[in-house]
Amino acid sequence: MHGLFRWSSKWWPGTIPLAVLWAIAAWTSTPPLEADLAARSNAALKDTVLDKARMAVAGRDVTFAADAFSEDGRRSAVASVEAVPGVRLVDDQTRLVPESKPFAWSAERDVVRVTLGGSSPLPAIRNRLMEAARAGLGGVEVVDRMNLARGAPPRFDNAALLLLDQIGKLKDGKVTISDTKVSLSGMARDLGGREAIAAALKNLPEGFSVAANEVKAPPYVFQAYKDPVAVTVTLTGYVPDNNVHAAIATAAGRKFLREKVVDNLKASVGAPAGFANAVVPALGALARLSTGTLVVSDREVKLSGDALYEAAAVQIRAGLGKDFPQGWQFKPEISVRPAAAPVDATVCQQLLADLLAKAKIRFESGRATIDPDSAALLDRLVETAMRCSTVNIEIAGHTDADGEVAFNQELSERRAQAVTDYLVKAGLPASRFTPVGYGSTQPLAGNDTDEGKAQNRRIDFVVRKGE
Amino acid sequence: MTYLATFHWGWLLASLLLGLAMGWIAVVHRGQGVSKTTARWLAGLAAALVAAALTQVIPGRFGYWLDLGLILFAVYLVGCAVGSWLRDRVLSRHRA
Repeated sequence: MHGLFRWSSKWWPGTIPLAVLWAIAAWTSTPPLEADLAARSNAALKDTVLDKARMAVAGRDVTFAADAFSEDGRRSAVASVEAVPGVRLVDDQTRLVPESKPFAWSAERDVVRVTLGGSSPLPAIRNRLMEAARAGLGGVEVVDRMNLARGAPPRFDNAALLLLDQIGKLKDGKVTISDTKVSLSGMARDLGGREAIAAALKNLPEGFSVAANEVKAPPYVFQAYKDPVAVTVTLTGYVPDNNVHAAIATAAGRKFLREKVVDNLKASVGAPAGFANAVVPALGALARLSTGTLVVSDREVKLSGDALYEAAAVQIRAGLGKDFPQGWQFKPEISVRPAAAPVDATVCQQLLADLLAKAKIRFESGRATIDPDSAALLDRLVETAMRCSTVNIEIAGHTDADGEVAFNQELSERRAQAVTDYLVKAGLPASRFTPVGYGSTQPLAGNDTDEGKAQNRRIDFVVRKGE
Repeated sequence: MTYLATFHWGWLLASLLLGLAMGWIAVVHRGQGVSKTTARWLAGLAAALVAAALTQVIPGRFGYWLDLGLILFAVYLVGCAVGSWLRDRVLSRHRA
């Protein structure tokens, strides 16, 4: 032992190379040591959810800064860094993510992009929302303006994902969550989008409620264009369902005399209430015009075009709005077509016969009330009668042979009278028309078939020259 | 400590070998040793440095370098002791 003390006094020269060794070791080992400790510390935090985690290593001391999402998470993160082998001291600069009150989140869509803003509770949820937005909106740029915050209501992520689904149905607009209140505004992309969104909102997670749903639907548009050159009526736009579609197509077929109906209608939800009750009479009014356009946009009906004569224009302007269901508006822009050149008696008879060959004046069964569908034909007859102002015309009513002779006789007279009244109301002098009823005495065809009877039920216009 | 030992085993081995060599030589070395007073001062200095390392008062890289230096020095001392003892054994067997 004594020897060891004696020898040790002579060990000092070795400290000089030892100091050199030390200097070289310190010089070369410090950077790899720091890198190694940083890597181990980060690996230790791999499963811990943190935001803005930063690690600075000086020697064996780690300065650790991060935003944690709970006090427990924060403590366990610091503890796992402290437990990394080789780490000497941990300078704890962690803090909790700020709490947001109220917890607000939003997604806003404009023409080119969708911006997610407000607060998101966890980085994973934030990424999920971004991915859902990108996947659901296919090709639209998605901008992330979200920050992280504590204080989200339970099931926030489900609610936000559901709302992101809805933003795909908007052309532009904004959805927001404020605590558990959900608000939506904007314009739906398609007809029915508003209804689809309202239906989807029923599936909001428990605890969430809709504070405001101000999503507007695009206007529900139905259009009809009567083209006198192509002799067509083109129907475009939307109808509520196939039944209404069929009803409108049938009504168009009845109301238009000779125009071919081109049906480009599509079925879609979102029609205003009373759609068919407004569109059918409006089509009747369009049929009375020589050329015209009908535009039904939501509850507004715009009819523009040329009436055949002044009284018809007045009737349409004043009359159509009355037929509409409540809440509907009628905006007529109807002018009168310039009167056509006068014709002589022979041409007049020819024109009238042509018109009546194409279509018949229809009445309610067994009565003398003119079917409104015949208005277009009657207007043509009025217009033609105006062109031959010098002749007198006999309005001849005929019936089929069904029923009693006396009843048929009276019915034919009353129907002839009803047509005459229509002509007089249109502004023609009553003195030029003679209503005559022939009952079933002048059949055109046999009364033994339905077709024959239908041919026999008729009103004829007979020009009487020189009377 | 284990971490430092595994990370720096090469340097530790080098200082151990240096210690062994120095210890081996010291037994037969005829030069001047350090005086008792100096030795005490040096021991005090070493104790102060060890205390500083254990209390971790020196931060960052300097703290690490101190730890590294002390470990190298400790291993060196162990090497010296073993080296001197071995030389002494060899010499005494020789004399006998």
